[in-house]
Amino acid sequence: MDELVRELYGEPAPDPALKTRVGALLEAEARRRLRRPWSMAVAGLAAAAVVAGVVLAGVAAESPDEAPGVESGRSILLAAAITAESGTADAGAYWRVRKLVRERYPEMLGSGQNRYWMAESRVAEQWMSRSGKVWAGSAELGATPAGRADEEAWRRDGSPVRWPGHRLSTSAGKGTLEAVPGGVAFSMAGKSMTFARIRALATDPVGLRAEVEEIVSSTGADDGLVADALSGLLWSKPSPPDVRAAAYRALAELPEVRYLGQRADESGRVGAAFTFTLREPIGLVRRTLIIDTGSSQVLSSVTDAAGVRDDQVELVLEAGWTNEKPTAPDLPPGTP
Amino acid sequence: MTTVSWAGPLAGDAEVVRGSLVESERFSVIFDAYFGEIHRYVAQRLGADSAEDVVAETFLTAFRKRTRYDPSRASVRVWLYGIATNLIRRHHRTELRTLRALGRHGPDPDVPGHEDEVSAQVSAQSLRPSIAAALAGLHQRDRDVLLLVALADLSHEEIASALGIPYGTVGSRLSRARRKLRAVLGESNPMLDPEEAGRG
Repeated sequence: MDELVRELYGEPAPDPALKTRVGALLEAEARRRLRRPWSMAVAGLAAAAVVAGVVLAGVAAESPDEAPGVESGRSILLAAAITAESGTADAGAYWRVRKLVRERYPEMLGSGQNRYWMAESRVAEQWMSRSGKVWAGSAELGATPAGRADEEAWRRDGSPVRWPGHRLSTSAGKGTLEAVPGGVAFSMAGKSMTFARIRALATDPVGLRAEVEEIVSSTGADDGLVADALSGLLWSKPSPPDVRAAAYRALAELPEVRYLGQRADESGRVGAAFTFTLREPIGLVRRTLIIDTGSSQVLSSVTDAAGVRDDQVELVLEAGWTNEKPTAPDLPPGTP
Repeated sequence: MTTVSWAGPLAGDAEVVRGSLVESERFSVIFDAYFGEIHRYVAQRLGADSAEDVVAETFLTAFRKRTRYDPSRASVRVWLYGIATNLIRRHHRTELRTLRALGRHGPDPDVPGHEDEVSAQVSAQSLRPSIAAALAGLHQRDRDVLLLVALADLSHEEIASALGIPYGTVGSRLSRARRKLRAVLGESNPMLDPEEAGRG
């Protein structure tokens, strides 16, 4: 019977012209996505994730028409809360967050017809000792054109590697580590927060939300800002396990936190994606977090304005307590 | 008729996809290896004129999602067939129109059949309209499975990974599709191989 089906369909003629057209489309897409230092660093991270046993996604079920349910997003956050609760508090001499950050340089560069955006990439670290002493580490990966059109304009502009009057360079720099005076490394909606304050936060979702609303209220709190402050407790602050669990539970009840389904971050790590919109000084921005539901860790945070361009991409490499000592960050594996 | 251009995954396909994370130009190796086969499959199902968009979208989708490709789940070839099949679903009407045309006129007359198959083709000629109508009458998901077997020569296991469905579901969809085709063609037709019918 299959033979009858094959005969019905016959053998279409090969189409070399079509192959050339599609090949050109693919090349254009590949050039558009060219961001060398960043992509090499990310590839290094992806390789590290494989070594660490992080599960990469399988063949994705193509179901763009099925919107993930509100209820499934809520239950994912509640399940993450249970995982977060069983985490260990202060399990090490230092708390550390290490991430790969790409940010669009705030000014357009170039001249005349050849104007373009650049994006800066770096490894950024924050360290805190148990006594509350704080360090900031950084290693520049070098700036690259932000997108394909930017890259073309940058080439027409003569492919400059630095720009007079701007602290920007295309070359990678050495890692640095600096002590942060005053021991205040953390902030919530622009207000500084000490380790002691974070440890004293409420551990029930209703109480925590009220407390967070109060902290952010002077900045004219909208619900997106509350969602942002709560999600910051999940990864960018040394929150105790019960505070992280309460933050997950409080987020589950916020209607403006939308579940997007399973997504991969730029390094290919897959998790549950949640998004919310918040008002920042520059206007409305959208923030999307990808959360590893198995470990309750945040994998990445992407911030963009009106969805046109990724203004800031953060990939979390490590977050939590460690017995390693603060050192200047190295470039990730895979970076030249 | 040659049914399969690539009997199995090319050695190192998965590494090429991984490598393309760093140097995206390397994805062209995958493109060169599978363009012909994927184009053939899409052109068969949607007709040569409508194939272009879907073939282009298949490779662009694969390129964009290459970070999500998991070599332990499927070969690159199977992964591409899965993407193409999902995209073909959005062109339901074009597929039905193509089937009606195939039923009336047969495949593109520019392409001659292989000499040794000419006689079989002649005797199958009269069945063409009924087969096309039967295929058009199948549920989309049953047709997908049947055609991934008949046109792409994928195994049950490969179809399960390509479409992201359980292994057992492949078998049940395939036997339902074959049952419906047999019913339309009539059990007594000597062209139907009873052993093959029981295989699904």
